[in-house]
Amino acid sequence: MKRKIAVAAALAATLLGATACGGGGSDDEAVTSATGAVDGKGKTLKVWLMVDAETAWKGVVEDASKRFTEATGAQVNVEYQQWANHLTKLDATLAGTDVPDVVELGNTEFSKYVFNGGFAELNKGDFENSDTWLTGLSGACELDGKTYCVPYYAGARVLIYRTDLFKAAGIAEAPATYADFLSAADKLQKANAKDNKFSAFYMPGQYWYAAMSWVKSKGGEIATKDGDKWVGQLSSPASQQGLQEWVDVTKKYSKADVTKNENEQAGIFAQGSGGMFYGNGWEQGSAEEVRKDPNDPTSELVPTKVKGKLAAAPMPEIPSFLGGSNLGVTQKSENKELAAQWIKAFTDSKSMEGLIKANALPNSTALLDKAAENPAIKNPALAAKSSWFPPNAEKWADVEKASILQTMLTDILTGKKTVADGAKWADEQINATLNEA
Amino acid sequence: MTAVDTPPRTQPAPPQARKINRVRRRSQREARTAWFLSLPTLLILAGLLAYPLYRMIVLSFQNMRLRELITGLTPPWVGFDQYTKALTDSVFWGVVLRTAVFTVVSVTISVILGLGIALLMRRVHSRVRLFMMIAMMFVWALPALVAAQAFRWLTDSDFGVLNYLIDKIPGVDFANHSWFVNPWEGWAVITTLVVWAGIPFLAISLSAGLTQVPKELLEAATVDGASSWQSLRNITLPILKPLLTIVTTLSVIWNFGLFTQNWALRDGHPEPVYQTLATFSYTQAFGQSRYSYGSAISVITVLLMLGVMAFYIRQMFKIGEVD
Repeated sequence: MKRKIAVAAALAATLLGATACGGGGSDDEAVTSATGAVDGKGKTLKVWLMVDAETAWKGVVEDASKRFTEATGAQVNVEYQQWANHLTKLDATLAGTDVPDVVELGNTEFSKYVFNGGFAELNKGDFENSDTWLTGLSGACELDGKTYCVPYYAGARVLIYRTDLFKAAGIAEAPATYADFLSAADKLQKANAKDNKFSAFYMPGQYWYAAMSWVKSKGGEIATKDGDKWVGQLSSPASQQGLQEWVDVTKKYSKADVTKNENEQAGIFAQGSGGMFYGNGWEQGSAEEVRKDPNDPTSELVPTKVKGKLAAAPMPEIPSFLGGSNLGVTQKSENKELAAQWIKAFTDSKSMEGLIKANALPNSTALLDKAAENPAIKNPALAAKSSWFPPNAEKWADVEKASILQTMLTDILTGKKTVADGAKWADEQINATLNEA
Repeated sequence: MTAVDTPPRTQPAPPQARKINRVRRRSQREARTAWFLSLPTLLILAGLLAYPLYRMIVLSFQNMRLRELITGLTPPWVGFDQYTKALTDSVFWGVVLRTAVFTVVSVTISVILGLGIALLMRRVHSRVRLFMMIAMMFVWALPALVAAQAFRWLTDSDFGVLNYLIDKIPGVDFANHSWFVNPWEGWAVITTLVVWAGIPFLAISLSAGLTQVPKELLEAATVDGASSWQSLRNITLPILKPLLTIVTTLSVIWNFGLFTQNWALRDGHPEPVYQTLATFSYTQAFGQSRYSYGSAISVITVLLMLGVMAFYIRQMFKIGEVD
């Protein structure tokens, strides 16, 4: 009897070992599968999501976790993180042994961790819609033909404007061309000349996603890869032309602080001294309603001065930066397969429908048409179809952290540097950062 | 410290040998007890100061990046590369110069104002003095981060009360004025905050020091026809000098390590003109994952501070000798 048990145990161990090595191929690190049956009874998966999930689509998270628990028996513990300094916290945690199994990061932040071995390789085919993933998100997940994370959701930027002020200034409809946009800004400026705080087009000086969108609109680039070296491209004639146009618009129509970024723009616009601004689709909602207690995401929503007076339209002739997030399984996780299965449940078509209802863009082009049916995100969904994303370079996150583009923009707007000088300086900084050994 | 390293050797030698032995044994025992009693403090100091300092120095001779941090690989040894990189970088020297200039300016203003307030406190009615003390205690009790956040809101370009008030002055347009576009204005805000928060310690310490100035001396000087400026220069300041040196040195040490104020006022991403040594090394290490480069900058900062510290410690010993 005893012998039989021993044999059975040995067999089971061999089988388990075989499945664990299943997808390994010639690599020493195995691909984590999200499809096999895993018994997760008694295990708890630790998931780090950003705070947006808690405020906007907590139900989707709970539903996916419920389906995951039914399938595997494992429990899920979701911890919501704040955007400010979340990378510092992640670095410190990843240096230890008690790490989260699933981590959400912004799409421009992922490359750094993928290149440095922070995330486990996944089997792309295991995830729904993986052949139509938004490349702006999945680009950061891929390295040497392998996949290390799964696109989660996206956001695209649109023009948000005051319908009442448009009417008062005699503007009939949302601008359809860039020339229309400029003439609308002129009319708004003239009609509201009395308010010395009024910005016809509110544009904070360190809003680099916006400035770079103008660069892209003229065919410019931030940096391109030449062989194995990155080369900053902001000095190219096309990039400079785009920058110049953005500077002209900002100087002429915006009273915004040139040392601020876009983080507070919805709240500032809600004060009523702005005609138009360029923001994420959901920022229209943030400008119209705020939580009574900003520290409590469940407190009631109270209307602002601009409630019911806002509308959104695609920003004409300006391609949108595609922001968003991806999900990865940490290399140090002890529950890699379970983690991959949770991601699979959280990014399947059912979860994506939940995200669309919560006004976020889904992770796949195949679902964008469906998203366009939701009037609240129709414009972002359209904008996402012509979008751009920053260079997929290992050290791109360092360029953001060093505030290179932000410093360049402030210096140009204050007249400390010309567009040409600012672009040249930024190119030098970008080259040094991206090509650093 | 004196309890540890002064065994009672100064006692007059007893006549009998046996007594000498007993005394020696007792002194050994006392020394052991002293070491034993200070053990917890020494352990805590070693754990919280010596070990991290040791690790930081080791790290500064390696090249630790995100990969090594995440995977636990031993970072490669690079010798003095990180130091060479810092010492040959004009950006780094710019930061050193900015930190030094800020320290000199802010300490000078704080000490002059602190001394002025201390002298004023000697003159006013005791109730007013009590009120001043309480007000300054409140400023002192305020955590630096909270004070910095309050200043950030005061000077905010869109919602700040400072712009609102200045804009009320007829003919002045300060609506949406940004205080951090012009580095001189930005640094003025930061310096104001640092000086404001630093004054209570200086004023209270110096006013305590002023009580040590004998009244008779000042009265005698007045009788001899000395002006109040002459009494201050020739009587009060010389007596106050040791204390003044110590509080000035302490202020230098604190202000040289400026981090919280410029970090919070620039919302966690100070532009190059608002970087000081502390924020620069933090951004390099934790923002850009150049842990070793950040450590090297910190080590250089410690070495620079050591010069000031040596002065401070020598002054402490001097005062000890006088007492």
